[in-house]
This record gives sequence, structure tokens and C-alpha cells, in this order.
Amino acid sequence: MKMKKFINDPNTLTDELLEGLALAHADLVEVQGHLVISRGLEQADRVTIVTFGGSGHEPAQAGFVGEGMLDIQCVGDVFAAPNPQLVFDAVKMADKGHGVLLLVLNHAGDMLCGNMVMKMVAKAGLHVRKVVTQEDISNAPRSHSDDRRGLAGAIPLYHIAAAAAREGKTLDEVADIAQKYADSMATIAVAARCATHPATGTEFGDLGDVDMEIGMGQHGEGGGGRQPMKSAKETVEIMANALVKDIPLTKGDQVFVMINGSGATTLMEMLILYKDCVRYLESLGIQVVANMVGEILTVQEQAGFQLNIAKWDDETLRRWNTPAHTPAFFKE
Amino acid sequence: MLSKEALAQRLIHACQSVMAAQDELTDIDSQFGDADHGITMTKIANAIQEAVRQNDGSIQSMLDDAAMAVMVLNGGSAVPLWNTWLDGLQEHSVAANEMTVSQVKRMFAGACDALAALSKAKVGDKTMMDALIPATQAISAWEGDMDGLFLAAAEAAQQGAENSRNFVSRFGRARSYGQATIGTPDAGAVSMKYFFVGLAKK
Repeated sequence: MKMKKFINDPNTLTDELLEGLALAHADLVEVQGHLVISRGLEQADRVTIVTFGGSGHEPAQAGFVGEGMLDIQCVGDVFAAPNPQLVFDAVKMADKGHGVLLLVLNHAGDMLCGNMVMKMVAKAGLHVRKVVTQEDISNAPRSHSDDRRGLAGAIPLYHIAAAAAREGKTLDEVADIAQKYADSMATIAVAARCATHPATGTEFGDLGDVDMEIGMGQHGEGGGGRQPMKSAKETVEIMANALVKDIPLTKGDQVFVMINGSGATTLMEMLILYKDCVRYLESLGIQVVANMVGEILTVQEQAGFQLNIAKWDDETLRRWNTPAHTPAFFKE
Repeated sequence: MLSKEALAQRLIHACQSVMAAQDELTDIDSQFGDADHGITMTKIANAIQEAVRQNDGSIQSMLDDAAMAVMVLNGGSAVPLWNTWLDGLQEHSVAANEMTVSQVKRMFAGACDALAALSKAKVGDKTMMDALIPATQAISAWEGDMDGLFLAAAEAAQQGAENSRNFVSRFGRARSYGQATIGTPDAGAVSMKYFFVGLAKK
């Protein structure tokens, strides 16, 4: 099938989307080249937070720059990590004398870039802690979490870490809070229809008319769980059950639940899935205390969703209920 | 001896060889990757070619310019990997206008070690190292003239990229597909092969 997208030039997709973001949210962010910078950064007197990643996943991650979330996001090209020099420049710009938390999603290119940046900041004498999110349970068991991909579970972590930074916590304290959060969550993805690469028009595989694939990554890479489509309730229960076992969760736990639409999943479907997930967790005696339902980290026009569940304590919930002013996440 | 001009010409041929393969690289990468390896390698090759053309210093300064030109590109994993390899070539080259066969051998060996330390991949992991390691070994083992050295490297890289068909992917996005990757060569090994094939052209 021929790609049908409203674009101008495959070579300027990222530049054009960033220009649009800057125009649409001039009060919240400033765009300098491939850096998206929070308007609040200039006044910040605290630990600051930087992350990086490819474009094509909007609103992630650039849409989460602003007060109460990211200070700077370094944007690569479509699905590709930016260059280490750009990330190093961002870290230098973000440092307000309290150090910088560098958040990395576990993908090959991002990890290589993150490791090179850490070498560069060490040479420059900057105070930086790196925290990697790696929570995709379809890749590998928890004992081999280095092999787990980083999916949408990183997004709520931005807000929790930023809230801790705004409390005046030190870099080590903020990094430990972020690491603890990363360790207490898990994600699993499912796709019903694959996306196309917006620059090349190449399809990421073909699930045909009847199948879905549980475990599909956020660039459309397969996860092995190909099977005929099931109902919302059956699908979300299979996925939630796998996450409950992995984290692991037991009766009486408080959790955050995210239904992240991959790009071509309707809000109607997401709400049905969320309802079925809450009811399922309730049946296990697990209480859902917070949520995100919507398009958070997309894969172009992939149909499907990521289910993220995180085990929360009262402190995390308190941090969650602090303000955030970003293009894609707004909380008073 | 290898003069700076001769190395520059070989590097330009290497870049053109990679750029000519853009569609093939995209096709391979669309099977188990995200279909951008062709675009990314064209960007990298173009940056190397421009840096080489514009440099008017020593061999070392030319390779340093090439590494820096790649460093500032956006292109996922390929950018830090190629930057590291080129930086390794630079570091183990000479601040002069010509190199002996033994100096060239040292340069490629040092660069391969630098990249191996970053990538952690070995032959058989279905990565660019499947072509680079055999090519580097062929250079190290070469006893003869400069032309023969580059021809031997190209032959080993071609064989290495071909062998990558039989391997199960252990790195990057393709890893998720496991056994299904058997039969398809690794896109990174194929682009490295084209680079060495071009280097063999005077």
C-alpha cells in the first residue's frame, strides 16, 4: 500500500515538526535547532533533566518538555538517536550548578550515544547521572533487564523525577528516585497493523487481516507473540496478567496504569481497554491510583497500544499530583 | 607507500560505493530494522567525502576531520559507531603525508579495537563487525604491496558480509526477531563491505 501522509519533504520532517511545535507552544518551549528547551530552564535553580531520542514518536519526547517535566530534549532524526555532541551541548546548557539527570531509553543507538556522552561529560568535569529505562517484558526476563527495551514507561518518570528536583533534592537523590521508579514498572506492547517509515515509505512488516502481535516494539520490531486478534478485554487481560507477574504485584498494591495508543488506535478503543484493565486489576485486589490514557509515545500510524503498569507508593503519588506545564501533559 | 592523495581518493571511492548502495541497504534494514540504514549511511558517507575533499592537512588531520564530520550527524547507532571507527583510524594514523604498509596495518588494527570496545560485538553477532573484523584481520595478515592490502581487505569484508546471512541477530532492533534473521545479511555488515570494496579502488 502506498504511503499517504501530509508531508512536504522526507528530508526535513524533523525540522518542520519542531518548527510547528515551537509555533504551537511558544509559551512553554523554545526550539534551537534540534534542542527543545523548557521556558522554565533559565530561572531553574535545581537539578535539571535532559533526555534524547529520535523523532517520529510524537508527542514523545519533545512534547514533554516544560515545567514539571523535561528541561531539554535533544531530538534526532526519525527513529534515530541524535549525535552525542548535541546531547553533550544540551547537558552543558542545562546544568545550573546542581548537576544533570540524563535519562536514556534502552535502544542500541540511544545507549551508544548515552555512553559516549557520559565519557564527554566526565572529561569536561560535569556532574551527570545517567538513568536507563528498560521495561519491555517481551524482550527478556527481569533478570536480564539490560536486554529490555525502553518503552513509554519513561514518560511518567519524567514528571516524578522533575517533582523531586523541584523539592530541592540533590542529583544523587533525584537519580535514585528515578532509578527506583524505573525498577518498579513494566510495559508490554501489542500491534494490530504496522506503521510506515515517514521518510522512506517502507512498511515495518505486515500483520495481515487477522493477526495481532503482542510484544511489538516501538519501531515496529517484532516481539514474537503473533496470534489472531482478540477482544479488548481478552487482550488487555493477557497483557496485564504478564505485567502483574513480572513486577510482581500482589493484592493491596497501588498502581499507575498507562494505555498508550501507538498512533492509529482510537480514543474509544483506549478507553475500553483502560476500563477492562482497571476492572481486571480490581479483581486481583490491585488499586489503580493514577493513569495516563492517550497518545503518549506513538509509532506513526501503527495500530495498537502499550500497556504500562508501575507500582506506586504514597510519595510517588504525591509527586505525581504536582503541576506540569508541557505541550502534551498539563496538570495544575 | 600510501600518499595522502591516494588515501583521499580511496576514501572518496569508498563513500561513493556506500552511497550507490542506498536502496539495497534500505531494503535489508526494512526487514528487521527501521528502514533507515540506507539514508543514514548516505549521510555518513557524504560527510566523510566532503571532509576528505576539503582537508588540506596531513593524513591524520584528514581522518580527524572525517570523524568530526560524522560526530555531528543525527543517525542513530551508525553515527557513534562510525565516528568511533574513524576516530580510531585517525588516532592510529600518522601526522604526515604518506604511510607505509606497516603503518596502514597498525591504523586499521587500532581502529577496529577502538570500535570493538564500544560495540562489544564479535564475528557472528550479525553486526557491522562481521565485515570489519575479517577485513582488519586480512590487512594484519597481508604481506605485500599497498594495492594488494586493500584488495585482500575488500575480499574479506565481502565474505564476512555474506557470512552474516547465516547468523542470528544479537544486537540492535533486529535482535527481537531471533532465528527469523537467518537468511538476511546484516545491513551494517553490508554497508561496511561496500566501504571496503570502494577503498580497494585506486
